Amino acid sequence: MGKFILQRLLAALVTICIATIAVTILIHLVPGDPVRIMYGSFQTTPEELEAIRVRLGLDQPIWTQYLMYLERLLHGDLGRSIVGDQPVLDVLLARFPATLALTVSSLFIAVVVGMSLGFLAAYKRGTWVDVGSMVLAIVGVSMPHFWLGLLLLFLFALQLQWLPVAGGDWRSLILPAMTLGLANAAVLARLTRSAMIDIFDQDFIRTARAKGLPRSIVLYRHALRSGLVPVVSMLGLQFAYLMGGAIVIENVFAWNGVGRLAIEAVLSRDYPLIQGFILFFATVVAMASVVIDVAYAFLDPRIRYS
Amino acid sequence: MIHSSSTADLADDLALASAPQRRSFWRALLGSPSGLIGLAIVAVLIFAALTAPIIAPFDPLRMAAGPRLQPPSLAHPMGTDDFGRDVFSRIIFGARLTLQIGVIAVGISLTCGLLLGLVAGYSSGWTERVLMRLVDVLFSFTEIVIALACLAIFGVGLTNAMIAIGIASIPFYARVTHSVVLVEKGKPYFEAAVAAGAGHIRLIFMHLLPNVVPTLIVIGTLGVSTAILAAAGLSFLGLGAQPPQPEWGFMLSSSRDLISRAPWMMIFPGLAIAITVLGFNLLGDGIREALDPRQTER
Repeated sequence: MGKFILQRLLAALVTICIATIAVTILIHLVPGDPVRIMYGSFQTTPEELEAIRVRLGLDQPIWTQYLMYLERLLHGDLGRSIVGDQPVLDVLLARFPATLALTVSSLFIAVVVGMSLGFLAAYKRGTWVDVGSMVLAIVGVSMPHFWLGLLLLFLFALQLQWLPVAGGDWRSLILPAMTLGLANAAVLARLTRSAMIDIFDQDFIRTARAKGLPRSIVLYRHALRSGLVPVVSMLGLQFAYLMGGAIVIENVFAWNGVGRLAIEAVLSRDYPLIQGFILFFATVVAMASVVIDVAYAFLDPRIRYS
Repeated sequence: MIHSSSTADLADDLALASAPQRRSFWRALLGSPSGLIGLAIVAVLIFAALTAPIIAPFDPLRMAAGPRLQPPSLAHPMGTDDFGRDVFSRIIFGARLTLQIGVIAVGISLTCGLLLGLVAGYSSGWTERVLMRLVDVLFSFTEIVIALACLAIFGVGLTNAMIAIGIASIPFYARVTHSVVLVEKGKPYFEAAVAAGAGHIRLIFMHLLPNVVPTLIVIGTLGVSTAILAAAGLSFLGLGAQPPQPEWGFMLSSSRDLISRAPWMMIFPGLAIAITVLGFNLLGDGIREALDPRQTER
């Protein structure tokens, strides 16, 4: 187990390292002068621009810049944002709890709704329940998430007035979490259905039925437990999708998370903030996938030893 | 050497689908509900895009084509927006941009992903390991973050958004191609071609490529829907289409502040995106079933 965790941690570290290289190169790929692009709208003289260039280390060769970046990174310094002139790490950390709350609650909704729908469809295979839930799933996959968000907003916040349009407390979390959760439930429903169909056809289920076990035990203890293995293995990827999806949904509901910050950064071409965001996002996703993989390996010993 | 080239040709013949197979493909595609509905939706979209200036009742950019914020009526079947532009006409012209997005984005990701996957899968060893490790890492960054990074580099705009989405999906196509190549490399026809002394170029482009194509047609069709969704999302965020372009995602974004006063501005562009994406999803599923009848059971 220790070796497995170590392997996963190393893989995550490689991902993070590649992210640091990518964000260092990023600013050099910008056509034209990035300093002028960033500070062009402020009143700045050529001397001031040159001073900024030196301060950001952009006058150095690229590998020196990379080492400087790494060194600062090890001291927890991701640079200063241009628009707010604040340390990038502080800005990201201040906004992260909101994104985490949104991502985790929508993952919960996606798992509960998606798995039940997929399980039901597989169990009632070929009936209208199956057809109905799969139609629902394909409609869910095809719907733009932000449109679903607008529709829910229109219905629950504006027409019925059950929920606030925006705010920041837990009640204003319900709509964005529902949007993101339901939109991703569709993917999980299709996945669960095909995994469960595979299981229902297997010998051990037939044996369990043949020896006269109650249906609920066959379903929940035998079928569900083994059918969920491939689905659970997808949760790491789902978490990454939800983090990505949160970028758009946060903007629909004015939810003050890192996603909203990222869009503001791209629109205002705040490169230190963009670099920080990419690195931060890659780190969170990499660590989350380590946690999910390890939890998964605890559940299924076959993974640990393969 | 005459010998070897004829063996290689034999392998070619085995690899390519024959004419009757092609006919049964179309029959299977049109026979499945998802294939038929998907094809119909995509056909309507292409028709709308091609004939937009003829079938659209108004110029999509013309302000005050009717009174502002008018609900759907006979003159304006989908109402008018806050500038008095005809929403229906804007949606029809939007079909052009949507198709363009699909073709350009998928074109970029398909071409680059295919090449990467072919090279990685064909050249086992270090090249493969390094390439695929890189692809895996990029894949874990998620498409939206790669697209955001690209837009941070190129600047915002619809064309840049299309390119960004294309680049962002390269890892996915590379992964799929790579896995198909690994399967194909183990098959007897490929071993026969190697034994017959076929060169690298011949092996990659004459033997592997034709066998990767069917999978990529399916993935590419499904990929059009992902690209359309992603572009609509970026335009919605203000990073893609800019005013006054009649792009569906952007139209949704401008409907935001008027949702309670003019819900039609939000409903119709959203429906247009959802139906189009559904069309490409169904078509992709239909093609998959037609190419691989064993899957139809599912």
